[in-house]
Amino acid sequence: MLVYPQLGTGALSQFPIRKERRTRTVINATADGRSIKLADPNAVTTTWQLEYAELTDTEAGAMEAFFAAVEGTLNGFTFLDPAGNLLAWSGQLDDAVWATGPMLRLASGEADPAGGTLAWRLTNTGAGPQTITQTLASPGDYVYCFSVYACAQENTTVTALIGNGRMAQSVTTGWNRIAFTGTGGAGAESVQFGLEIPAGATVDVYGPQAEPQEGASIYRASTLGGVYADARLRDDELAITSTGVNRHSCTVNIIHVNHL
Amino acid sequence: MASFPSLKTGAVAQYPATRRIRYQNQALRFVDGTEQRYRDCEAPLLRWEIRLSQLDEGEMAALEEFFMANQGAFGSFTFTDPFDGATYPDCSLEADALPLAAVAEMSSTTSLTVVENRN
Repeated sequence: MLVYPQLGTGALSQFPIRKERRTRTVINATADGRSIKLADPNAVTTTWQLEYAELTDTEAGAMEAFFAAVEGTLNGFTFLDPAGNLLAWSGQLDDAVWATGPMLRLASGEADPAGGTLAWRLTNTGAGPQTITQTLASPGDYVYCFSVYACAQENTTVTALIGNGRMAQSVTTGWNRIAFTGTGGAGAESVQFGLEIPAGATVDVYGPQAEPQEGASIYRASTLGGVYADARLRDDELAITSTGVNRHSCTVNIIHVNHL
Repeated sequence: MASFPSLKTGAVAQYPATRRIRYQNQALRFVDGTEQRYRDCEAPLLRWEIRLSQLDEGEMAALEEFFMANQGAFGSFTFTDPFDGATYPDCSLEADALPLAAVAEMSSTTSLTVVENRN
């Protein structure tokens, strides 16, 4: 699996990040101002422009090695959106992308920490721990941060999961954001993110988010997710400028097209 | 029907915002220099140019999700005119492209244009 390199900090990119979503709609405009439209869902294109500065020799070397591995625009690679939530349907925990334990009951419409009613109530009716997870086709060697807001009717402990990594987190009666940073497992080509709820516990959760970096950023509700298989570099040329000792800069343009 | 997403403040637009009103009239000009004009559509159509800055990541993600859910210019939604509060039940995005720029943490910018559709 060819994957876009993370920086030494664990981040995938630096500011500014430019991203463009492009769709295709065929429009037949009539003389009286009305229009007849036809969508083309397979034509969705997403592009990113990532500008890097102050890269170390190691980071610049990794970028060059990646460029050589994909041979410019020739080969596809897996790209994780640095400006998005990697998880799909983050606000719809009963969607098929989520795998839930057989004894875990889900109920929507609970009050959330943002002032709405988009939280979910997870009730473990079984005698053992139950999980709710989502598996992404993303590289196990990356550093990820999984975060979710949680509160409980009674103080309890839940376990955040990233791949084989586990981290117990206490959940109180007030909303708190759980954040767990870890890797998905060396060489793995998919990573599982989720929560484990202990037997008999009831926990309200809101805003699950996975990011390809060490810290959690503001929650972004998502439906599509942020893992782009078969992304491509836009250019056959990579220019790395050395601005000093162990200081380099470059700009990378990445494109993902649904129908390719 | 979907509604255009509002920012955390409850607003849908920031300054500067532009609203355009467009009629579609036709003119027939005759050899003697006179002309005859007529309406080619029953009423004017509105168009709003919305430029947003200093957005946080959540607001930006909501706009991006809205764009994708509408499939760009294809879908239609309800839009509340930020100039006078009037509600327009059938509007669309004008373009099939949405540029997003994260300049810094909690400082993103984008711009889009909403057009009123003729029923």
